[in-house]
Amino acid sequence: MIQTGIPRQAPIQLDAGRDGTAPILRLSGLAKSFGPVAAVKPLTLTVGRHEVIGLIGENGAGKSTLLKLLTGVHQPDAGTFELNGRPVRLKGPQDATEHGLGIVHQEQSLFTNLSVAENIVMGAGRKGSASTRGGIYRWRALHREAAEVLARIGSTVSPATIVGDLGFAERQMVEIARTIHVACRTAERQGGAPLVILDEPTSVLEEAETAVLEHEIARLRAIGSVIFVSHRLEEVLRICTRIVVMRHGELVADRPVDGVTEADLFRLMIGKDRHARTREAVPPVTGTPVLRAEGLTRAGAFHDICLDVHPGRITAIVGTFGAGREALVRALFGAEPLDGGRLEVAGRDVVQWSPRRAIRAGLAYLPAERGVESAVGGLSAARNLTMVPQGRSWLLSPAGRRALAEEWFGRLDIRPNLPGQDLARFSGGNQQKVVLAKWLRLKPRVLILDHPLRGLDPGAGATVNACIRAAAAEGAGVLLLADTLEEALDLGHEILVMRDGEISARFDRTTDDPTTLDLLEKMV
Amino acid sequence: MKLLSRPDELRQALGPLAIFAILLALISVAVPEFLGGGGPSIIAQQATPILLVALGQCVVLCIGSIDLSNAAIALFASILAALTLGPLGAAAPVFCLIVVTLIGVANGLVLVYTQIPSFALTLGTLGVMQAASLVVTGSNVVYVMDNMDVVGWLFTVQILTLPVAFWIAVVLAAALWAFLRFTVPGQGLMAIGFNERAAGLSGQPVNALKVLAFGLSGFFAGLAGLCVISISGAASSIGLGSDLLVPSIAAALVGGTAITGGVCNPLNVVFGAMFVALIPVGSAAVGVNPQAQSIVYGVVLIVAVAATMSRARHGIVK
Repeated sequence: MIQTGIPRQAPIQLDAGRDGTAPILRLSGLAKSFGPVAAVKPLTLTVGRHEVIGLIGENGAGKSTLLKLLTGVHQPDAGTFELNGRPVRLKGPQDATEHGLGIVHQEQSLFTNLSVAENIVMGAGRKGSASTRGGIYRWRALHREAAEVLARIGSTVSPATIVGDLGFAERQMVEIARTIHVACRTAERQGGAPLVILDEPTSVLEEAETAVLEHEIARLRAIGSVIFVSHRLEEVLRICTRIVVMRHGELVADRPVDGVTEADLFRLMIGKDRHARTREAVPPVTGTPVLRAEGLTRAGAFHDICLDVHPGRITAIVGTFGAGREALVRALFGAEPLDGGRLEVAGRDVVQWSPRRAIRAGLAYLPAERGVESAVGGLSAARNLTMVPQGRSWLLSPAGRRALAEEWFGRLDIRPNLPGQDLARFSGGNQQKVVLAKWLRLKPRVLILDHPLRGLDPGAGATVNACIRAAAAEGAGVLLLADTLEEALDLGHEILVMRDGEISARFDRTTDDPTTLDLLEKMV
Repeated sequence: MKLLSRPDELRQALGPLAIFAILLALISVAVPEFLGGGGPSIIAQQATPILLVALGQCVVLCIGSIDLSNAAIALFASILAALTLGPLGAAAPVFCLIVVTLIGVANGLVLVYTQIPSFALTLGTLGVMQAASLVVTGSNVVYVMDNMDVVGWLFTVQILTLPVAFWIAVVLAAALWAFLRFTVPGQGLMAIGFNERAAGLSGQPVNALKVLAFGLSGFFAGLAGLCVISISGAASSIGLGSDLLVPSIAAALVGGTAITGGVCNPLNVVFGAMFVALIPVGSAAVGVNPQAQSIVYGVVLIVAVAATMSRARHGIVK
């Protein structure tokens, strides 16, 4: 294990801060488990006034669970939770906002057909606002109220504008204003200050828009405190006053930003900077690639992508959110259009690509969004196994389906062993296994896996990984978008790094032995 | 019976039969001579066109769309049959079925290639078909001049006291049931109703299946049109068969079909159609004032749908 270089520090106690007031947020021993999985291990965190805290961590480190605990979406299993010195038990995001803790999500929740003012006042909740009477808007008061809030955060957006006409960054301002509107009032009534959580606010913003947001955060800091969640480390370093790092559900670092470098943060996020865990023989490149892309381009998503997937080998693609790898694999499967480039399957050019043609050519695609794109809830698990039409026969044999279900339920240890049960009633991990089995039984030539382990517990994850390896060993070319870098390193025989829609690095494990840090450096 | 372990599944499987039996029992108690006096035969005759249109409707509902035009297509088919039976003889029914199936297919193709919501699209087709019926008949009643025996036997021949057309419709319902459950396209139709994106990404021919659903809807509507002609020997744009739309949708819903798609059992639609046909006949038999019959009809329908409709997809019922 390589030393991270930064000693783990005890959380900074801003208890009864310099001005003699209670901290805005105090968590102590807060914990949350889902079944056997500890998503957030007992955690202690204090947020004082006028702080901007950067919360970072890899996917699955427990950030989202922590945010959901903070906003009352989940209830903690243990620990105490104080806001402005009072213990609270939040019922949900609206309740959290009314307690002075607001969250602004990356996927916005504004009503795009209504005006800015209406959206801002809409968040005022049950207690309403002074600008409605008997459920009827008093437009002048409404606009005045919205303008006050907007002025407070320094926004120049006109309250009368329809939200749909605004740019993305401006909408974010409106969302912040909506949160602040309620959070401030409560916090001030209780003699405290509001806390605003910005969940990956910059990941979809252009550079200029990010500058506006930074200005915004500075304003918010004057009023209360901000928790800033981001994957862009240089932004975190620039914007925040203090940085909190999560890893495997634990708070592994909590320190002021001074003197910290991006490399330090990488190491803290990943833990140890490590090589691939397994040292098994990497299968050599043999024969024609089962999938070859040359100069694939799709405007706004990816550009000039060249890659080969060889039979028997697992090619892992890593990249940050927005690097374009999801759009790339969807285009490879024909689920999204291409603007240019050439695509070959087993040495033959493809034209008029569509999922149906791709499947006929031997491709299989496991989408990341299981509930929306792969699991057909309402139909039984067994029927989902036979969802891909194959062969000429139009008849489905219930006996054949039962035999197939029995085979795959056993092989992937799908539980409960009730193939006739509605797939929607299985747990996420077991649903994923069913959907994976649907493709594996076809013995695909190319297996494209988009975040196959998303939402799976470690046991199910190990089974799925074993299946991926077995499929490759049987000769399938696998294209894997892994959840974590470790996973990519452990499974991938070849690793491609994508950044801003282009391939920024290629590592072939026959010759290279990259570490997680090598990959990260090429990602950002 | 572990497959029926949940109330919703039980309601879906047996609800339509149960409410039909309850209503029939109530009427039999109130009017004991109803069952012996040819009541079942009348109901079967009334139910047959409703059932045929409802079978087409339930396939369309199964993919999560709706076909508001199929009753108008049925009426158009009956007019077409009345006009062509004389000159074409035995070929006339085949000709009519081909024409209306193609109208259904056209509905499906427009839906697939323009992405117009089916509600709006078929509302448009409904208007077109109604106008076409008026134009073709010149607003008059069209009588079958010759070859009435080509379709006449559908309701004159009886098996077990019920007209043979009714039994044919039941057999078709069973065939449709088997089609949905035991064939690849049938499973595809259900998959589209539940999760269209997942079906498409699994390689289901989504567009072709949608066209198939609307084509089937047109075909079944055509059969209903032939039944209308067989019963009345004449067709007009306001005559028998011009009010099939609401009863047929009601029959599909009472039969447990989910308006949100995916859940569809044609066998239960048989009971749905009989139930819907039973309401007016029954309410007249027990002496409800004719002016008030629509009230009974509406209230009973709401209760029946509440009792039988699938709520498997919580939160999406609109």
